[in-house]
Amino acid sequence: MKLLLLMTVGVLFSVPLQANELSTDPAPKLTVKATEATTTLPDRQTALPSVDKKSADIYLQPAPLTDIPAGDFGDKVRLGYQLFVNTQQLRDKYVGNQLNCVNCHMNAGQQANSSPLWAAYFAYPAYRKKNDKVNSFQERIQGCFTYSMNGKAPASGSPELVAISAYSYWLGMSGLMQQYNLSGPVPELSDAELVKGAKRDDFPMPASITKHLDITALSQLPGRGFPKAPQPELAYSPERGVAVYQAHCQACHGGDGQGQIIAGVAALPPLWGPQSFNWGAGMHRVNTAADFIYENMPLGKSVQLTVQQAWDVAAYVNSFDRPQDPRFDGDVSKTQATYHKHQGFYGQSVAGKPVLGTESYPVFPLKKSLTP
Amino acid sequence: MVNVMQAQAAETSSPQQAIPAVAQLCASCHGAQGQGIDIIGPRLAGLSAEYISNQLKLFHANKRQNPIMLAMAATVQGDNIAVVADYFSHQPVDEIQLQFRGDKVAISDPFEAIAFQGDWSRTIPACTSCHGPSGVGGGQFPRLAGQQASYLKTQLLAWQDGTRSGDVDNMMGNIALKLTAAEIDGLSQYFANLK
Repeated sequence: MKLLLLMTVGVLFSVPLQANELSTDPAPKLTVKATEATTTLPDRQTALPSVDKKSADIYLQPAPLTDIPAGDFGDKVRLGYQLFVNTQQLRDKYVGNQLNCVNCHMNAGQQANSSPLWAAYFAYPAYRKKNDKVNSFQERIQGCFTYSMNGKAPASGSPELVAISAYSYWLGMSGLMQQYNLSGPVPELSDAELVKGAKRDDFPMPASITKHLDITALSQLPGRGFPKAPQPELAYSPERGVAVYQAHCQACHGGDGQGQIIAGVAALPPLWGPQSFNWGAGMHRVNTAADFIYENMPLGKSVQLTVQQAWDVAAYVNSFDRPQDPRFDGDVSKTQATYHKHQGFYGQSVAGKPVLGTESYPVFPLKKSLTP
Repeated sequence: MVNVMQAQAAETSSPQQAIPAVAQLCASCHGAQGQGIDIIGPRLAGLSAEYISNQLKLFHANKRQNPIMLAMAATVQGDNIAVVADYFSHQPVDEIQLQFRGDKVAISDPFEAIAFQGDWSRTIPACTSCHGPSGVGGGQFPRLAGQQASYLKTQLLAWQDGTRSGDVDNMMGNIALKLTAAEIDGLSQYFANLK
């Protein structure tokens, strides 16, 4: 890291420091400098293996929510936070299950190693194999609504997507500004800028940040995503996962996996069945669920299960039917062949149960159709 | 499987059950309707039957240590556990204005902030992420709203010193250990005053 900084300083040494970089439009030459840095610096992607996460990583620390400014821009940031922790206010409009974003992104999307929003924001636009195109940040969020929330994606540029983008941007930028001692408010961006994400040459990033972190480094911030759980010794097994679930998970998520409903809302989320994420959501993959569980569960403890337990219980949770894959075209085996060549149970029978996908629950059902 | 507090609240509008004989002794400290007698006995009304019966079993197993309750809980055994739990869980509590996560963004009261946002710099989740909106509780998660402050405080201290245990993976014990004395006082007052 020290070497990286030295190199960066070397490259940008001739750039004069501006008195107030934040209040001025970023000069095009700074963008050019950032691009140069990209080519000069080593790719950091492989330099951030999850195993190193606890040694020397410093995670971005967003400003407290009390710092969100008054005014229109601040209102968007606030709305983003509110939608993130209480996504059920969009039930039947864009959400078709009982989940809230915060169920998988701890601490309102601020927690390192819990797919924090601040890291995601600097990683888009990016190519995604899932839909075979370059996705803007808002397109990535649309995917969450379609799959994880078993709902319908808000339209591009909708107030909801602007708000979630604004909140993500504000978390990330306030964290970077604190890390590099930049004072003043987080620079405001237009709605059109906000929804794009920050991994682009024309993103208005202050030069005093780009001289430390180039665009590639920003897209690979420590704490991004769920760190990969180590490989288990034995192949994962839903059968072994039952005992793990009963001992460590069911107190909160229920013996039937349907979570804990209090005052009409899921205080603790359903893990399978009609009210959970659908067969297109990343979390139905055993590896993704294992990564999440190993790092983040039980709530407030982190890294309590053994690697084997995390994988086994991830397999168990994902061995039940759930809402159908929205890309389903009427043929489970075809859908499996096209979209499920990975670690998951869609299209398979587990423990003599019907083939998963054949009795899946509806995509984007209205609330009243599911609750008696 | 889940206990929906709203549903329970609705049931309480039916005519009051007569107190079962086996619950008479409980009433001397917890009140005939489980309303609680500060500082002698905490409020039982508003707790789920699942929670109450589990606590009795934890007293039996000495996982909750309290000299008085140790003796009292011993008088409720077998099928009577469900009778007592059912009776007190059906007693009325005042409805409160529910506050959901996200209703407030900037929270200046530090204890309300812990209740709704936690303090993740110490890996403390929001209290309401398990105890529900405004801490009204459900299932295995006790109601905090309107509970006596003195009781909430002694329980958080009991989690800290190990005289209360028995939760899965010591999740509550682990959280309580991270709370400062001032936070225990502040949180107890905060939830007690949600009436």
